[in-house]
Amino acid sequence: MRVKRRDYTQWMSLPALLLFCTFFVYPLIRGIGMSLTDWDGMGKATFIGFANFTRFFQDARALGDIRTTLIFAAGSALLLNLFGLLYALLMEKPFHGRSLARVIIYLPAIISPLIMGYIWYFLLQPGRGFLYHAMAQIGATFPLGNWMGNYPTTMAVLIFVNVWQFAGMTMIIYLAGLQNISSDMREAALIDGAGAWQRFTRVTLPLLAPAIRINVVTNIIGSLSVFDVIMSLTEGGPGYATESLSIYIMRMCYGSRTGYSTAVAMILFVMILIPVVISMRLTRARD
Amino acid sequence: MKENRLLRMLRILLVALLCVMCLIPFYVLLVLSLNAPSRVFYEGNIFVPTFAWANYAEAWSKSRVGTAMLNSAVITFGTLGMTILLGGMAGYAIARRNTTFNKAVFSLLIGCMMIPGIINTVPLYTLMRQIGAVNTLWGMVMVCATLAMPSAVFIYTTFVRALPRELDEAAEVDGCTGFKAFWQVIFPVLKPATASFVILNGFGVWNNYAQAVFFLQSRDKQNIPQALSVFFQQFGGAKWHLMSATAAIAIVPVVLIFLVFQRQFIQGLTEGAVKG
Repeated sequence: MRVKRRDYTQWMSLPALLLFCTFFVYPLIRGIGMSLTDWDGMGKATFIGFANFTRFFQDARALGDIRTTLIFAAGSALLLNLFGLLYALLMEKPFHGRSLARVIIYLPAIISPLIMGYIWYFLLQPGRGFLYHAMAQIGATFPLGNWMGNYPTTMAVLIFVNVWQFAGMTMIIYLAGLQNISSDMREAALIDGAGAWQRFTRVTLPLLAPAIRINVVTNIIGSLSVFDVIMSLTEGGPGYATESLSIYIMRMCYGSRTGYSTAVAMILFVMILIPVVISMRLTRARD
Repeated sequence: MKENRLLRMLRILLVALLCVMCLIPFYVLLVLSLNAPSRVFYEGNIFVPTFAWANYAEAWSKSRVGTAMLNSAVITFGTLGMTILLGGMAGYAIARRNTTFNKAVFSLLIGCMMIPGIINTVPLYTLMRQIGAVNTLWGMVMVCATLAMPSAVFIYTTFVRALPRELDEAAEVDGCTGFKAFWQVIFPVLKPATASFVILNGFGVWNNYAQAVFFLQSRDKQNIPQALSVFFQQFGGAKWHLMSATAAIAIVPVVLIFLVFQRQFIQGLTEGAVKG
């Protein structure tokens, strides 16, 4: 073997690392420090220990935000996977116009969730939205009524819009998963006399496990940091009822409670770490 | 497996319904954007607009969505270019030189892949203010490139590992090492990896709002979502014809790009899902 001189190939990961450390790792570490202070973003910061954290857990608005964030994430992850899988099963077998249907169903997912929130606001604004008038024209009343006056229906609408927008994305991943399951397997089950439901629960579903895990984890993590769609659809209202933790962080930062807002970010970080760790455990157990 | 005809019809009918459900909001947006401002809610057939094309001219001139589009384009291309170059180099180094350093870099990036940007946005804002990067397009490019970097390094590392070693050896025989080997021999064959990276991250960068709301506040630096939210806030819920026309203009570029590249796009997503 030749002696390689000045082969710096191994250091070619350095620029990416430098960028990442400067704009991600360094602020993250600094954030941990800031979360232990009362800094207002301008003046002197005083070390106050864990006071920001205790304040957080005594604040009704903050606890409400945790509840909203968790309900949104759980509801979204559940329904995104349910409908994504349903769509995929509908779209699995070839038919005329299938690729067109796939494009149409995926289309909402490429639009900014902020803009999507505005579009749905035009459709659903209580009393004024397009759907209220459309229903009135055919002589019916829109079943949602004043949905913004009621926390469960407001949450349901937010989750619905999110699921409506991104079910196409989970569908694509499930379609890919279904492609990987050979039809031999399912035909073998058919020959063995398994009914449609049995074939689905005993053969398809277990073989789909990797796709399910990817979808569930990405959906939970994505919806725990929800920001855009709530900003445009309800602005976190009425009051602070549907405010998510991400929005709370932004508002606390603008309200010159910089130290406190980084403490909230750390709490959200821990909330996101839980599903990440669980999914890594599951992957490792499998391998 | 043969499916009976009735079930097949039912399935196609359901898919058709699903497609209609996905398109209705877009259709309503179009109708609202073409309604004259004087059209009271609503006389006549609600599904047919009054074709007030002037809404679009007014929306275009008042909303500054044109500037925002240009900014979004600069940010998106800058981010993708920077991530492709640095991420590709890193992926090459990690896949080909299995040193402790490279193992550590890979673990760090993959470990942080799932952490959303909002977690460190506030301390990042402090840093950005210190280096004068708030309200600059290059600053936003740095932020977005950093957030996309783990995904790029993951995709490129996986892809380079699957490339035959002979490629590197051939380059070495020609006296190519380091960046030169990467740029002239490896990078050209990385096109499928680059395509899947762009597919997975492009729209996300273009649509970024959670970071833009912090880092792009000045009027002439706003990207599309930030410009729209600022523009809409001034109406307080009135002037739907202007709001919907602006929203319609704002989604034209992504819809066009998606429709033009839909085949590669869906295929890329499917392949990405299989590998992931």
